[in-house]
Amino acid sequence: MILDLHSHSIKSDDGRAKVENYCQWIQRKKLALDGFVLTEHRQFDATSDYRKLEDEYDLLILKASEVETEYGHVLLFGVNEDLQHAFDFSRIDLPLAEVVEQARRHDAIAVPCHPGRVTVGMCAHYETRGPVEGVEVIETLNGGSRGTENEEAIALAKEYGYRGVGGSDAHIVSFIGRCATDFERNVANMEDLVRELRAGRFEAVSYKI
Amino acid sequence: MDIDIQELKDGWCGRQFDEVSFELDVREMLEFAIACGETQPRFTDPEHPDFQAVPSYASRFHGRRAMPEDFPIKSHQGFDAGKCVEVHAPMRPGDKIVARSEIHDIYTKTGRSGDMLFIVHRMRFTNQDDELVSIVDWRLVQNRVSRRAPGEGGP
Repeated sequence: MILDLHSHSIKSDDGRAKVENYCQWIQRKKLALDGFVLTEHRQFDATSDYRKLEDEYDLLILKASEVETEYGHVLLFGVNEDLQHAFDFSRIDLPLAEVVEQARRHDAIAVPCHPGRVTVGMCAHYETRGPVEGVEVIETLNGGSRGTENEEAIALAKEYGYRGVGGSDAHIVSFIGRCATDFERNVANMEDLVRELRAGRFEAVSYKI
Repeated sequence: MDIDIQELKDGWCGRQFDEVSFELDVREMLEFAIACGETQPRFTDPEHPDFQAVPSYASRFHGRRAMPEDFPIKSHQGFDAGKCVEVHAPMRPGDKIVARSEIHDIYTKTGRSGDMLFIVHRMRFTNQDDELVSIVDWRLVQNRVSRRAPGEGGP
């Protein structure tokens, strides 16, 4: 089962794609995606309901978050009410160690994304600040990466024994599915996704041209 | 400059600081549509029964002030991060429009170039029937001091 684990809709300040337009694009282009996860910046979108779109396009649409820490940006899968109260999602200086720990405590998982990216990726910060305990999974394939940023992420994962996921980081319609994650088992909801991420039963895949 | 974002938001967001009014001119609407490359007759033919301004038309208007008086961040200290237009009703020739300005949101984010401060300037456009026709959000971005650790590279 292939899911794009990193995408943004117009709910994000810099997102230019409506969720329905992602669905239409996936269908029109016959992309090998079974669904995607919306990871809106610095917030959790608790109100939007995409069940109609899921039925209409036969896609799984899940909701997560992308928060900002001193080590760069981090995807949060399994966000619930307790986790939303554990720290302020809108801050840009969250401590990564606390985000990782709070996620674990609240049955979620924190996945640092685009680690190879300057300033907002963890590779450079690892060199200066050292590694952070509790990280299990990082995004090794990001659809918006430039140059060798993904290679740096893969090297980091290898060095620290992290498992790697893929996501497009789409902000516009045509970017959806550029990178994704292939799960061995079926994922029907966020609970399944968190379980499979923890179990490591997946691999990152790239469809970038 | 270390800015308390919450204090800024609490003090400035949602307060109207400017109001301008004007009448829509058919010639200007037409010129704007043509400049946009529009080809649909309802935007390019004033004789069309449904003639109206192109959806982005409200983005061409400015208030008398870009920011409230005494606002601690000046518009020339940042750069334009784009406009977003939300269309609610058609704008037609002769409409008497009132545009009211406020600071809608202030937030920070991080990107490749470091920390950024965003100010969202909102203009709400209503017509002679007090009907909301358009909302234009203009984002102004200001680069802040980078949080890079000592010795760390990057632009």
